[in-house]
Amino acid sequence: MNWILLATIAALLIPIYEAWQDENIWQTMLAFSSIASKTSIMILIVSVLRDDWTLGVVGVIILSVGNAALMLLAHIIRRTNEL
Amino acid sequence: MSEQLYIIPIVLLLPLTGCMLVLQVNPYHALVIRGIFGAIAALVYVLFGAADVALTEALVGTMLSITLYAVAVRSSLSLRVGAIEDQLKAHTARELLSVLRATFSKHHLRLEIVPYTNLLAMQAALRAKEIHCSYVLSEPGGSPSPPGGGSRYDIQTRVSRLYEIMQAEVPPTKAYLRYIDLANPDKSTEVPIPEAMEGKS
Repeated sequence: MNWILLATIAALLIPIYEAWQDENIWQTMLAFSSIASKTSIMILIVSVLRDDWTLGVVGVIILSVGNAALMLLAHIIRRTNEL
Repeated sequence: MSEQLYIIPIVLLLPLTGCMLVLQVNPYHALVIRGIFGAIAALVYVLFGAADVALTEALVGTMLSITLYAVAVRSSLSLRVGAIEDQLKAHTARELLSVLRATFSKHHLRLEIVPYTNLLAMQAALRAKEIHCSYVLSEPGGSPSPPGGGSRYDIQTRVSRLYEIMQAEVPPTKAYLRYIDLANPDKSTEVPIPEAMEGKS
């Protein structure tokens, strides 16, 4: 099962590079959403590997709340560009 | 032992994103990268078995602090420009505003236009520190007219750093710059800043 995690780490490097390179704020937000969902999926995989339900619950909460944080931040940045 | 195979690369992501965060100059980009950093930090906490710390990092460290900081950066990094209402729609005024917007976007400042009905109210607002700078259409007999003809604007500012930035970037054919020193009113209005600075240094 370890190879799944290693492949996800390799995939995680792509949006990190994208967030480092890009000038456009929306590209950075896109990279943020990609990384946030990838890390919470990794938390879920770790919880399955260790058979630990606490970690699983935390992973699910982070997965759902991460989207809410992204929407809040996107609204504020959108209103900044409008003015 | 097999766990270390994936723990070490994941932990190494943390200093990588930390360096990205420190090296970022744009405040909004830095906020988004702080979110990325928080997501990876939460993953590292989970790997070390601290589920409660990971949850707190995701909820407070990432979601709440980023949102509050975005609101704070948005309201503090803004430049309030006073203008007379009737002059706002003129073609030259819009041209000047686009020049100012391009100038200050390099410094990550956002322009906020504050309309006033008359000149006196705008001057009072500038002295009361409600706005950072103001612009009005030059009167024909007032400041020296531009060589090529056409309309020119008087820009007044009370912040010396803004004066320096505008002096370097705004072409003198578009606007006549003035610095108003609120602390020393006798040095203000007619004295452009280079002479005033020479007197101080």
